[in-house]
Amino acid sequence: MFRNPLLLVALIITGAVAVWGIADTAGLAGFASRLVGIQFTSRAWFIMLAVSFMLIVSIWLAFSRHGRIKLGKDDDEPEFSTVSWLTMLFAAGMGVGLLYWGTAEPLTHYLLISNYQDPRKAAGLALFVTNFHWGLHAWAIYALTGLVIAYFSFRLGCPSLVSAPIIKVFGANRLTRSIGWLCDLLAIVAIAIGLGGSVAMGVFQIKEGVEALFGIQGAGMGLTLGIFVVLCVSYILPLTVDLGRGMAILSNTAMAVTGGLMIFILLAGPTHFVMGGIVQALGEYLGGAITHGFRTFTFMDDQVGNWFQSWTLTYMVWWLAWAPFVGVFIARISKGRTIREFICGVILVPTAFSILWFGVFGGVGFYGILRLDVPILDVVRENLSGVTFFVLDHFPLPFLTIGAVVVAAFLFIITSVVSAAFVLGMFSTGGDLNPSTRVKLSWGAILGALGLVMILSNSIDAVKSIIALGALPFVFIVLLLVVCLLKALKAERPQWS
Amino acid sequence: MSNLLDTFMNIEVFAFIGLLLWLYFKEFGADDGDSSDP
Repeated sequence: MFRNPLLLVALIITGAVAVWGIADTAGLAGFASRLVGIQFTSRAWFIMLAVSFMLIVSIWLAFSRHGRIKLGKDDDEPEFSTVSWLTMLFAAGMGVGLLYWGTAEPLTHYLLISNYQDPRKAAGLALFVTNFHWGLHAWAIYALTGLVIAYFSFRLGCPSLVSAPIIKVFGANRLTRSIGWLCDLLAIVAIAIGLGGSVAMGVFQIKEGVEALFGIQGAGMGLTLGIFVVLCVSYILPLTVDLGRGMAILSNTAMAVTGGLMIFILLAGPTHFVMGGIVQALGEYLGGAITHGFRTFTFMDDQVGNWFQSWTLTYMVWWLAWAPFVGVFIARISKGRTIREFICGVILVPTAFSILWFGVFGGVGFYGILRLDVPILDVVRENLSGVTFFVLDHFPLPFLTIGAVVVAAFLFIITSVVSAAFVLGMFSTGGDLNPSTRVKLSWGAILGALGLVMILSNSIDAVKSIIALGALPFVFIVLLLVVCLLKALKAERPQWS
Repeated sequence: MSNLLDTFMNIEVFAFIGLLLWLYFKEFGADDGDSSDP
């Protein structure tokens, strides 16, 4: 392991971030927040332009003649059924975030927007913005990254590494190898830090769920750390054995629980209100998603500017941080599909599910505020992690639904950490499809340590800043990969036109 | 000072966009045999 400089440097960097965070959590969070603030202020326009560009390129690729190209040899067939494929890619891409933000995010936006708009209009706008954060733009980032990796791996026979397209397209020389090496390193750092944040968010939510389930009041950091330890112990075993199909079952179980919960809330709650909200949100999203992608809120006041940085920009770089991890995963399960199928499946179906999800969980939240006068906004102000459970507590069978959220969050984190340790092991060993147990355990330990850092910060805003810091270089890398893809597709054209 | 930093950071972005355009249009001798060992 120590003969591989990439693995060594990546472990040193991520390990150093973890040690710094554990020794001086506030210092790391403050540093990340300052640096990310500077980047967001100066480059907001570039980040929004880049993600909009990715969406437009994705749509163009799907409907251009390139859409017919297969991700594999011309006679390769898809390995998984379309339903399995869609379920797996969705679980990988969003997972625990949906459980965390389902009600909390639309209501947080509502708090701000209702200062500027009539509350009834503010609810619609809050849902629109939430759908924007989790919709077409997010999935276009995943789709393009996954498409580059799948195309170069299955069509052109390169290893599944971020560096492979760069070396393939621009030729193998010292410069491209160095840039490729740096891109692999930055991808590893972005994945590791992003995953650490996800672990923290999941642990925060499980802790709130356990408190709600057993009526514990103000358990504090002790319970959080206890849950974290149980989680770490739970993912050690899957890291040491090749679970293969077992991991798919865990992931599908988490998705089934999540989907079942959504249907239960829809049917047990104010169904007409929620469905009305979903249809309205869908219409507003279809009408405004592309133009909203170019919105930088430059002419608004500082309050809106800060909100834009800490939500929209943070989300976009968050998806970029996850892009190499999710991209590799999506690529692996998409061999044999055409570019058109790939892009339509990866972008449209998860976006539709997100609109449904936030429509249901946001919808019941707004019903509570606008029709029943339930004090949900107080919970949003004081304890974001507890919002989902507060809402579930107002529905029938709260013990069952809260238990379902806790189980699903736990499963999502386990599958994410195990998959990420595998992808990190693969990236850091030159594309080895079977990284050794020792390498996977090393990454498991680093991911746990980074998760602990984020937990110790005890602030979801600090978590967001640290993730954004790790992810920012990836804005540049993904665009470079897109250029590689476009050049390779241009070169392929004479063979099939 | 902050304006200088802002200018510098945006010049980096402009240069990067220029680089991407140049890379897209320039012809390279693509590698066929060595890419499996990056």
